Amino acid sequence: MKKVGEGAEAKIYEIEIFGNKAILKRREEKKYRAKELDRKLRKERTKAEARTMARLSSSLKVPKIIAAGQYSIIMERLEGRLLKDADITSAQIAEAGKMLGKMHEMNIAHGDFTPANLMSCKNGLYVIDFGLSEMTNSFEERALDILLMKRSIPAALYPSFEKSYSESFNGHLTVLGRLKEIEKRGRYQIRTLG
Amino acid sequence: MLVIGLESSAHTFGVGIVDGGKVIANEKEMYKIGKTGMIPAKVAEFHSENAAHVIKRAMQKAGVEPSEIEGIGYTMGPGLGPCLQVAQLSAKMLAKKLNVKIAPVNHCVAHAEITRHYGKLKDPIMLYVSGGNSQVLAIESKPFHHYSVIGETFDIGVGNMLDSFARNLELEPAWGSSIEKNAKGGRYIPLPYTVKGMDFSFTGLLTRSTELIGKERTADLCFSIQETAFAALCEATERALLLRNKEEIGVCGGVAQNESLRNMLQAIAKEHGYRFGFAPNEFNADNGGMIAYVAEKMLLGGMGRPVSECEIRQRYRTDGARLAIR
Ligand SMILES: Nc1ncnc2c1ncn2[C@@H]1O[C@H](COP(=O)(O)OP(=O)(O)O)[C@@H](O)[C@H]1O
Ligand SMILES: [Mg+2]
Repeated sequence: MKKVGEGAEAKIYEIEIFGNKAILKRREEKKYRAKELDRKLRKERTKAEARTMARLSSSLKVPKIIAAGQYSIIMERLEGRLLKDADITSAQIAEAGKMLGKMHEMNIAHGDFTPANLMSCKNGLYVIDFGLSEMTNSFEERALDILLMKRSIPAALYPSFEKSYSESFNGHLTVLGRLKEIEKRGRYQIRTLG
Repeated sequence: MLVIGLESSAHTFGVGIVDGGKVIANEKEMYKIGKTGMIPAKVAEFHSENAAHVIKRAMQKAGVEPSEIEGIGYTMGPGLGPCLQVAQLSAKMLAKKLNVKIAPVNHCVAHAEITRHYGKLKDPIMLYVSGGNSQVLAIESKPFHHYSVIGETFDIGVGNMLDSFARNLELEPAWGSSIEKNAKGGRYIPLPYTVKGMDFSFTGLLTRSTELIGKERTADLCFSIQETAFAALCEATERALLLRNKEEIGVCGGVAQNESLRNMLQAIAKEHGYRFGFAPNEFNADNGGMIAYVAEKMLLGGMGRPVSECEIRQRYRTDGARLAIR
């Protein structure tokens, strides 16, 4: 198996199934953390990822899921480039905003919505990496998705992201209100005495 | 350039002296936390009483005369107002007497910068873990040279979390070190683990661990709370590294003295082939050396200020401080 990618959590291998190229994403053991915690996290996240990918497959550009195991998922191989490795255009970031809005409309929070998990392919932008995703109607979780992206891109790009997000999700005002609240919270902490 | 740095943002009154990027003295006096808790005014009083002799001791250690000092740095924030004022006022007095410029330093940035120096790191992801703060930092060049916060705690700092738990166990709270000692030989008990992207949260973990006191063995609880909290910090750091394509890891702040945390970060570095670095413990505790170190860079970079412009800022954000380019 050829290793073709690596994220913070998983290793990505290229495999062949019935003559077609596919991707095996395997959440490898992290030796730095307690075994029990490690197994639990890897299982939970693989399960969440498989579930969300299946749910989104007909409404959003995500890799098609082929099979899932305890720690691994086999999925369609995408040919493209991660946004984190490219100069992001405002059209791309607007597309990302629209996709996040759609997910939120379907009560799904991504959990790690950054340029490391968006892939620009020939036929458009794909969202990947759903290990931290959740089925939820919580506005807090939705706001956190936006906050994470906001902090991961140049400030000049953020307005187009927010605009297209707002256009594709009806609850955007509540989410953006919550975002403001979160940004205030804990962020101006006074260093306390023990 | 011979620069003296004063720190008094929390319990420590620290004085450091640098010369050409080398710390040649780093003296301190620490207010002892009594059972009665902490009253900022009391701590400030302690600092005022100690300021003069710690400054003198540092100069003796470094073998310098006051007249040789070419610049002064002090902690502008973040910290508690009454405490911060002591270093600020001492710095102003010294500056007037010696007729030199002052550099107001951000305490968190100073921890990160001194760690970059001793850890031999150029452009790391820096995990800053102290009592009140826990942040994942990276250096940015736009729109100005600064540390940005790419991940942080949603609620309490990891140090205060471990200390609160130590107090609940009736152990001595000392930035996680008593938890670390008691964790030896512990087994893992599942506890709430919260990571959202590159942010994390610790209150759920603290509440649940406290509920389990008396029901589980102390060693198991100490081991598990530490494992869980550090795993979350490590995961956030690892995500930041991959997101930002960085190849160096640094850790700084009080909790950076914890060996288990350092071993975990070292393991991440090894796995990816990254460099891992940290500063000697005297610089992870609060100290004046790091303030002097950053002040020298700022003064050389033209960021010195006249006495009249030296304020304190209790809520001085890490990402609000401009870095000197050097
Ligand atoms: N379906 C795919 N096709 C092609 N490359 C992929 C695919 N999924 C992931 N990758 C590559 O592997 C890397 C890590 O995958 P990701 O799902 O983000 O894992 P992690 O959870 O470790 O971040 C991605 O950044 C990308 O380069
Ligand atoms: Mg990823």
